[in-house]
Amino acid sequence: MKDLKHLIFFEDLLQDAHNELVQQAIDEGKRALGYNCYYVPEVLLNLDGCFSTRLRAPRCSSPDVATYYMTGRTCPYVRSILERAIEGGYNHLSCIFGSESCAAMERMEEQLYLLKPVKHDDFFVTIIDPPLKGDATNLEYYKTQIRKHMLKAMENVFGTDTSDAAMRRAIEKFNELCRVITEIGDMRKLPNPPITGYEFHVIQLVSEVCPHDLILPYLKETLEELKTREPEPEFPFRARVVLAGSEIDDPEFTKLLEMCGAMVVADRYCFGSLPSREEIEIRDGESAFDAICRHYLHWNQCARFMDGMKIDQRHNELLRLVKDYNADGIVYENMKFCEFWSYEKVLASHIATNENGIPCCTIEKEYALGSVGQLRTRFQAFVESLEIKKINAEGGV
Amino acid sequence: MDIKLVAKIIGKLGLFGFLGFVGTFSLYMFNGENKLIYYVIRPLLNKHYDSQVRDKRIV
Amino acid sequence: MGKIIDHIDDKLKVFDPIYRAEHGLGGQRDRYYDRTGVAKYREWRGVKDTMYDYTRWLINIMSMVKMVASAPIPIMKGFWEYRWMGSYLGTFLFIDRLFEGYRDQELRVAHLQMHAIVVNLTKRIAYILSHDRRLGASMEKSANLLPMDETLPAFFTTGFPDLYPVALQTLPEFIICDIDQHIEPYYIDVAESFGLPADVCSRCAAETGVALDDAFPIVGKAMITTNMPCNASEATSMFQRRRIGLPDYVASMSMIHNDEDTALPFDRKIMEETIAFIEEQYNTKWNWKAYFKAAKNFNEQNTYELEKWDYMKTGYTAEVGISETLYKLFEWQSVNGTDPYFNKVDRKVMKILRKCYENRYEPFGGKTRHRAFLWGPSAVYYTDFPTWCQNAWGLAIVLNMDSTMGFNMIDTEDPDRALDDLALLTTKACMRHMAVGGWDNINAVWEWAHNFNCDMVLMNDNIACKGMLGVHSIMEEQARDLGFHFIFIEHDLEDSRTVSRQNMRDCVNQYMSIVLGEEPLDPTIINFDDSEAY
Repeated sequence: MKDLKHLIFFEDLLQDAHNELVQQAIDEGKRALGYNCYYVPEVLLNLDGCFSTRLRAPRCSSPDVATYYMTGRTCPYVRSILERAIEGGYNHLSCIFGSESCAAMERMEEQLYLLKPVKHDDFFVTIIDPPLKGDATNLEYYKTQIRKHMLKAMENVFGTDTSDAAMRRAIEKFNELCRVITEIGDMRKLPNPPITGYEFHVIQLVSEVCPHDLILPYLKETLEELKTREPEPEFPFRARVVLAGSEIDDPEFTKLLEMCGAMVVADRYCFGSLPSREEIEIRDGESAFDAICRHYLHWNQCARFMDGMKIDQRHNELLRLVKDYNADGIVYENMKFCEFWSYEKVLASHIATNENGIPCCTIEKEYALGSVGQLRTRFQAFVESLEIKKINAEGGV
Repeated sequence: MDIKLVAKIIGKLGLFGFLGFVGTFSLYMFNGENKLIYYVIRPLLNKHYDSQVRDKRIV
Repeated sequence: MGKIIDHIDDKLKVFDPIYRAEHGLGGQRDRYYDRTGVAKYREWRGVKDTMYDYTRWLINIMSMVKMVASAPIPIMKGFWEYRWMGSYLGTFLFIDRLFEGYRDQELRVAHLQMHAIVVNLTKRIAYILSHDRRLGASMEKSANLLPMDETLPAFFTTGFPDLYPVALQTLPEFIICDIDQHIEPYYIDVAESFGLPADVCSRCAAETGVALDDAFPIVGKAMITTNMPCNASEATSMFQRRRIGLPDYVASMSMIHNDEDTALPFDRKIMEETIAFIEEQYNTKWNWKAYFKAAKNFNEQNTYELEKWDYMKTGYTAEVGISETLYKLFEWQSVNGTDPYFNKVDRKVMKILRKCYENRYEPFGGKTRHRAFLWGPSAVYYTDFPTWCQNAWGLAIVLNMDSTMGFNMIDTEDPDRALDDLALLTTKACMRHMAVGGWDNINAVWEWAHNFNCDMVLMNDNIACKGMLGVHSIMEEQARDLGFHFIFIEHDLEDSRTVSRQNMRDCVNQYMSIVLGEEPLDPTIINFDDSEAY
């Protein structure tokens, strides 16, 4: 396939948290608000005068100082974020909206206010206590947390307009971005898609780390380009897989999987688009704020949810993706030391494989792409097994 | 009541009490019950547990 | 009589391990067969204390006989069915280990409290096994049992006097790991054989293993799970609910629970929903009268606890080390207000403690050199670690983190306030009130240590506890700034294969000998192999 016009530009944007579009927005007088987790509604960080940027630590291969503070036995993602903060990589941020989504993440966010590594005037960190269930009681709690730890802080420190009208404007813009990403992502459902999983991963990531206003024109142009892009004469991969799991913010990981012959047709992981790029619907009589909280609690597929309804939802969602995106199997990833995804990986792969006959490959990885040889061997073996399964299903030898 | 009978009963109770004390105190002092459990009972039980066919599954 | 006893004591003092250690003749470890943890003979503590220990041993045996006599067939079936039941045979070795080196008043307090635990636990085992559907009990018979996550304090169930709360994981996982260090690795291996990574918390991995091994007693009509204390226990609930297969309610309390204006109303609502769920599933009604009655018992225990703390701050107390910790943990988590026998024991213990304070009684013959606060989740497979610290280095564990669990009083008249109190108490449960849920919780250790006049903090370094690891060096830096001696005790909570008991001892040995340049009180217990001990 012909190279995408903006792919190299997008890849460059992902090399640094403080990229050129982020700087451009700051120069225009906007405040950069960092966040780590889907529980922090991205749309609210894009109220007038602010923009969201999801925290990554690209090229962080050795978080030595963070390891001193948090030991080498905690999540490498959060250690890498702390390391990057200590290195000065987030000095452009006005604040970080944290979430006690897991103990490791909370501890890292605490270190950000204890060690004060981010050198920016008035920089602050707040942490919400996110709910573990999807029912009405937990929705109310979610709202009180967001109101207290995000909106009040934005009003008080930045003077942000958090009115219903302002939120509606933010939702409108956010939905526009979602529509573009979703349309691009839906192309992966085609038998021979005009986009690879790697390219989509890059596109999704830039939409999360860059100011929406500034990245949107490039994304729209890319969408138009994709509509007329000629795919390879034949589907160039040997299998189609759903990639599920925790933080995967390195497109090289997707590339590795695809180089082993499995196209990533659906991205159901933290930083992925499923969920994160669903449009927010405001129901009749509902306030914009209520709609946002309901939306995020409903779509959230985090492995930390404990109630039966949400557990079933996330497993059913995975099965739906396999069906809708015509996948042959699932690659289940968990970040090393991640308690939630370690458990979820065991259960979800059991449900997929033993109860629904969908082949699964479960792997554990570091934040930075290491142990490539081992992963490659695992992926190659998995792709081969998928191929054999296909041949057998088609009545072959 | 016959004093002799009472004395006999008390004597027997005392004797049994004393023997009981000697027996249980020896068992206690020489850690008898723990030795029996550690060296005899638990190895037998473990053999049984190891031979169990457990229904190990996620469901 | 006193003279005779003194004479015998004088003649037999060479058998007393403390005397032997003091005079370079040996020490505690002389009595043991190598590696096993089985003593050739029990500790000679002098006539009075040995006789006291002997009578308490006899009384505990009677409790166990009573347990078997109350439900002989279910107990036998339990031994046959459940691997973890076999480990309860190690109870006497466990008690001996815990109270090694205890004398005089601390021995009396320790045994009084331990017996309360033994009585309650044996009754509990007999009751649960005789209502276990896996062992043949009918659904009808086991219908009034309410299985719940062990980290959810049973206190709220006192409003349902017709129900019997069963802390689900306590028998097969938590208490039994205290007794036998080799039992949970079996269940951990079961969980790992299904693909669970080895870097998750071993307590939760063991719980998962018990579920996958189909080794939970099956009782009741519905169950209550909870998010407490941490991420791994939240995740392991998924496996338990699937394997046990009962309708469940997840009592997910706030994690950042100190945020009282938002967290407390939420936690209260969760408690109300939990109560409503039980009412619906068990077709019963919440009973305020019964609840207030239990609350009075609980408040009495709580009042005593606070008074105990005042004595413990001074050092003139017989409430020490693991004896205090274990009693408080069991009383708070499993009993709180439901067993009047505990109140009776508390009253007796308080009498002793008041007297000890009046007489300026110093435990362990006044050989304490350092006063330490033990913080962080303790190694369950090495429950007698505080006892070892005292005997080896004269290092008194004044208070353990778990003892700082919620100690607010429960209103006994106003239902509205009582519910708030209940929610507050529940969120300040074991481990989660300190190890997770925000910096303030863990950082509280310095104030606790200061208030209890400690010069040392022993920080349990559970190698898989993500909540504690995240603040590792900040704690170390603070200790340095505040002038506390500070030792990380590395352990793997319920998996003794990863970090052995000797590895844990070495953390202390190295600090005491290299940093402080001190000599041990008993050199025989500095380095020894107890890898095959229960």
